[in-house]
Amino acid sequence: MKKSRTEITNERAKFLLSAYRYNGADAQDPMFREALEQATRDPDLAAWFAKERSFDALIAEKLNSVQPPASLKPAILSGLYSAPSKHRSMFNWLPALAAVLVLSGILLSVMRQGSEADRPSLSQYQSAALAVLSGGTAPKLDLLTSDLSRSQEYLSEKAAPRAPEMPVAFRELQTVGCKAVNWNGKMMSLTCFSLPSGELLHLFVIDAKALGKITFQPGIREINGWHVELRRELGMLLMFVSKAPIPELVKYI
Amino acid sequence: MTRDLDLEAIVGRFYAPLYRFALSLTQSEAEAGDLTQQTFLILAQRSYQIRDVSKVKCWLFTTLRREFLRSVRAHVNHPHVEFQPDIHDAPALTEDPLRSLDAKAVVDALALIEPTYRTAVELFYLSELSYKEIAETLDIPIGTVMSRLSRGKEQLKSILARTIVENSRKIIPMNRDEEVAN
Repeated sequence: MKKSRTEITNERAKFLLSAYRYNGADAQDPMFREALEQATRDPDLAAWFAKERSFDALIAEKLNSVQPPASLKPAILSGLYSAPSKHRSMFNWLPALAAVLVLSGILLSVMRQGSEADRPSLSQYQSAALAVLSGGTAPKLDLLTSDLSRSQEYLSEKAAPRAPEMPVAFRELQTVGCKAVNWNGKMMSLTCFSLPSGELLHLFVIDAKALGKITFQPGIREINGWHVELRRELGMLLMFVSKAPIPELVKYI
Repeated sequence: MTRDLDLEAIVGRFYAPLYRFALSLTQSEAEAGDLTQQTFLILAQRSYQIRDVSKVKCWLFTTLRREFLRSVRAHVNHPHVEFQPDIHDAPALTEDPLRSLDAKAVVDALALIEPTYRTAVELFYLSELSYKEIAETLDIPIGTVMSRLSRGKEQLKSILARTIVENSRKIIPMNRDEEVAN
């Protein structure tokens, strides 16, 4: 076939069209113009190009059918909320400043309380724990890790209380991370897990001696839109918190 | 153009393709998840550096690859087995058997492309980045991207053709007597 000056060889056209996206996103790119024009004139090249796009579409379809684990997105969001931006405006700090002032006020009021009878109540503890979760769709964690042992080591390093024993069914859950919280001079810990549905399950632990008299009914209750269950084990108070439906929660806690 | 990034929206849009890219690089679901998380963590910390939202996608893939290379350098003793496909003696690739392959077979085939060409091909299929964006992500000239895509895709076809042939050999034909007896 005789080629005019403006035509390019089929080999050159194939070389260029290998980089042409199968979804047509490059249709207006001048880089491909000559090669695309050549494909309209040359039946062999047209057949090759049709086959190439079909191959590319099939490969992309196969590869894009791989689904990330359900726990990945909540884990990423947890990381985003815990990541300190290195460039924040003053307005970004205002909510944090307000929170510090409120917590300082609470801290001062607790410091004035001297006797054991004045230790914080269970409801105060629950409010403080749920406040840790109220910063967004996921809490701000100190450590993001899928390794439960690593998270518990971290809590030990921070002198934060740990659950004496995790529920057996937790072995099926992916750990997201943990956080040590100094609440009015008393350490509490938070460990987060990802449920199969993608919802998070939070486990707060505090030394029961840090609180006043503790009485609670067994079972899951609803507090401010959260499903909450309390459990006392070897001197530790465990509080399981999640927004997952109760039927899913009871499988694990 | 804006400096205020909607991080949740960006996560929702890009976490799946980034995970797939990470999986193709690491060949490990756990490492791919960690690498994807790490990439978004860096985005959250350095979001102020991104002045043009349209560049976020390219930035994310560049950062993920950079973090992967950093982790590979940290494990210099990590064993690496390379496969050199013989593209001159490859069986012809037809569409029907190709369609019957599962996603894992295609992911595995990608991993067998020569490392020089592999990343460009992975980005081409998994990120839907243009050749210009792939050049930016890999920090190589556009001509090099074209060359790597052309040769890398040829290798992919060759590897897939061999996979199909090997799969067909695993199918044991039913004995005629057994067929009658049944």
